[in-house]
Amino acid sequence: MPEIIWPHHELFVEAELGALHLHVTVSLNAPWTVIFGPSGSGKSSILRAACGLLPEAEVEFRRLTSSPPHLRTEDLPGGAALVWENLSLRPPHRRALSYAPQHAALFPHLSAGDNVRFPSQVCEIPPNDSALVDDALELFRLHSLAARMPAQLSGGERRRVALARAFAVPNCRLMLLDEPFTGLDRALRDELLLRMRAWLATRNIPVLSVTHDVDEALLFNAEVIRLESGRGGAQGPARQVLAAERDRLLQVLS
Amino acid sequence: MDLAALGLTLRLATLTTFCLLVLATPLAAFIARRNNLPARLLQAAIALPLVLPPTVLGFYLLVALGPATLLGRGLIRILGHPLAFTFTGLVVGSIVFSLPFAVLPLVLGFQSVDPALTGTAAVLGASPLTVFRRITLPLASTSFLTAAVLTFAHTVGEFGVVLMLGGDIPGITRTLSISIFDQVQELNYAAANRTSLVLIVGSFLALLALYARRSSRRDSDA
Repeated sequence: MPEIIWPHHELFVEAELGALHLHVTVSLNAPWTVIFGPSGSGKSSILRAACGLLPEAEVEFRRLTSSPPHLRTEDLPGGAALVWENLSLRPPHRRALSYAPQHAALFPHLSAGDNVRFPSQVCEIPPNDSALVDDALELFRLHSLAARMPAQLSGGERRRVALARAFAVPNCRLMLLDEPFTGLDRALRDELLLRMRAWLATRNIPVLSVTHDVDEALLFNAEVIRLESGRGGAQGPARQVLAAERDRLLQVLS
Repeated sequence: MDLAALGLTLRLATLTTFCLLVLATPLAAFIARRNNLPARLLQAAIALPLVLPPTVLGFYLLVALGPATLLGRGLIRILGHPLAFTFTGLVVGSIVFSLPFAVLPLVLGFQSVDPALTGTAAVLGASPLTVFRRITLPLASTSFLTAAVLTFAHTVGEFGVVLMLGGDIPGITRTLSISIFDQVQELNYAAANRTSLVLIVGSFLALLALYARRSSRRDSDA
């Protein structure tokens, strides 16, 4: 019997953003999904729409309520009993999302440590994992920087604080990362990626990230959705979808 | 120098400033956040005292708080006396008169907070009230100082509304600006000069403190 994998989240976004007409349906069924596209193709807007921060867009966003992201048909009584939560009707703070925006957006009046502590301090349901903040600081090697203010951090350090803050959101059901590794050198990026994967796998939190970097999209070894001028193109495993792009780049290099 | 008038003026300005900051915060938050007709109507209404002659405002307040209106009759029943020509009446008048000086700086302050910060805070789990308390308020703190100094100084300097609504009762509604008027009427120019100098020096120091703080803040940011 073939295995049917149900998407854990489905997102539809339609918006007029200046000259760009955004019209995308994104179906998330992998632990890590990457939206890949050139600058200005509307990637960040898709994430902001999912967050509920793009009021001008028409958005449908739903989540499969049964907690394991991978469900097979035989697990379902009658097969049709999928229950979806409509997230588009909820305000941003009740969507159980986590978000690292493109320009870090650290709170300038709070230290790096307090930025990372923020989600667990403001959440309505108290976190059941008291070590969450410490673990997130450790994951991104931020303990030595925790007392610094955002203005005293380099671009790469700010990026790491923003990621740690996203990872420190209690009871998160989907993580949205906008160009997560911009400004980080390759060695650090590769190391962080391994550690992030392990963390996400233990907690069973899926990720939707966006990038304009082919290399990065391949590295994630994730499900890739190609975005071209506001429309969703090919979707599938990274090597498959990006093969053409890789060939083109190899030709340029040779 | 009319010391009773000085004390009364300071008391009036302090009380007005305190009440106004409490009242202006939600109004400014509403105006700063919404981009719709009700918000623009409210903003225009609040800014009205900037352009109206204070006597117009004083006159309508006098009528509104008097026995001719439902509001006035209700107040008279509760208090046992009309609000006009009392210190409390002056506070009410000053609040209306100085409203734009408290609300408008706060609107600018709230609007200057990057929406990316408030939006991110919301997605990370903060309710609108928490976002306001933990992100917007601290980042707009300078505009609270601006609002407080402007409201205080403006209340100290008001004349028309006080005269219309409060009259000129020594120790109850005679503020410094009224006192100067009386001194000039009595041709006591020396006394008027002293009182006026106190107001000029006080106002100048308040503004100096405000701008000095602003520029030192800018230096530390850079």
